[in-house]
Amino acid sequence: MKDNAIVFKGTKEGLYIVLKEEMIFDDIIHELENKIKPSKRFFEGAKIVNFKGKNLTPGEYEELVDILQNQYGMQFLGDYDSLCRSTALSKEESKGQLIPEPVKQSLGNEETALFIKGTIRSGQLIKANGNIVVLGDVNPGAYLEATGSIIVMGNMRGTGHSGTQGDYNTYIAAFRLEPMQLRIGDIINRPPDGKQYKSKVPEMAVVRKGMIIVEPYLGKK
Amino acid sequence: MGEVIVITSGKGGVGKTTTTANIGTGLALEGKSVVLLDADIGLRNLDVVMGLENRIVYDLVDVVDGICRMKQALIKDKRYPNLYLMPAAQTKDKNAVNPEQMLKLTKELAEEYDYILVDCPAGIEQGFKNAIVGANRSIVVTTPEVSAVRDADRIIGLLEANGLRNPQLIINRVKIDMVKRGDMMNIDDMVDILAIDLLGVIPDDEYIVVSTNRGEPAISDSKSLAGQAYKNIVKRILGENVPFMNLDSDEGFMSKLAKVFGFRKK
Repeated sequence: MKDNAIVFKGTKEGLYIVLKEEMIFDDIIHELENKIKPSKRFFEGAKIVNFKGKNLTPGEYEELVDILQNQYGMQFLGDYDSLCRSTALSKEESKGQLIPEPVKQSLGNEETALFIKGTIRSGQLIKANGNIVVLGDVNPGAYLEATGSIIVMGNMRGTGHSGTQGDYNTYIAAFRLEPMQLRIGDIINRPPDGKQYKSKVPEMAVVRKGMIIVEPYLGKK
Repeated sequence: MGEVIVITSGKGGVGKTTTTANIGTGLALEGKSVVLLDADIGLRNLDVVMGLENRIVYDLVDVVDGICRMKQALIKDKRYPNLYLMPAAQTKDKNAVNPEQMLKLTKELAEEYDYILVDCPAGIEQGFKNAIVGANRSIVVTTPEVSAVRDADRIIGLLEANGLRNPQLIINRVKIDMVKRGDMMNIDDMVDILAIDLLGVIPDDEYIVVSTNRGEPAISDSKSLAGQAYKNIVKRILGENVPFMNLDSDEGFMSKLAKVFGFRKK
């Protein structure tokens, strides 16, 4: 009866675990055990991109990831935010509130980046465990929050927060850096009032002596 | 104990936010301590109109969720004494707060400041309910258009149903020459239909667009006609008796104009 309750689905990004929507959480854990235990060796070291299907709470999500990693020795690449986005995507499409689909790319375990193609608009919040790369513009009222650095291949007019867990070595770079506000770690800065300075070259914001400063990142030409 | 005034309209785009910004600035210029509270969560504008957008760190939702203290979310406007802005969140929606939380917040603010101006979102849903819950006075903004008056009428009904008696009316974007020609809805007719006290009439003024885009409220500019009208409204809110306009058709244009801006008849 519960044959298809949990399905491992291979995609070009890697393995997804598809959970049946109507299942309760305790059943999921039970079914996972039934599914994986008999062929534990086979699953050891398997790279799981993320879950699909059922909406999980952050707590449930953490618990499942913990079981997969510590009991069955799998590698888990996804994070909760991208799960929300991928499950919310189909629902939000109808509301016209579509956040551009992230392209998940793994660069080893500690250096991950969330790639987003398209314009990030006012009211959209992109959070990532790792770096964020936007191929497009970030508009005023949009927020980017990364534990790592942020790169915007376009106009950065929104609010960027890099190193959300306190890493001052992160940076925020953009082709045109005209942000509403910049935050690196717990330091906050904003562009000076009055006349808007427009740089002709790409710039990046870094922390120097406890302050956020903006400088060109290309050498003088 | 301060006064909580909600500024609402039902219809969008009639000038709630501009009115909130100008009245708030006017009250601050009169020496009152004022908090502008943006209740339009998800579509916030008050911060943009006030030119304070880039100072936002915490917002209203952070305060009600207990992420920060109330004072941390209040942005002090350096240009005016005693003027503060509490911005709305942009990445959430109206359901991020409930009326009980708003009531608690406005009560706390009213203990410390003279005036709390709540910029209400358009519509009559959750956002409207959040905005009016803590108010003890209300201002309805409308424009001389049938649709805006219809919505204002509905809003007045809802305000009264929620215990906000005696809302006051601001008629925005009145084109004086069009009214004179009889091409625009007559002010008296509008007041007749809505049957509430008229707080003021704001003439259509191109300068409003300029000041809104610059983030400087028009009331701070002595050249702006609309700014003058807002100044009179502020005086009326403070209880001064500034004469009202009376558009009798046999009056001359200049005297009508003078009345619009509330100059005393010599």
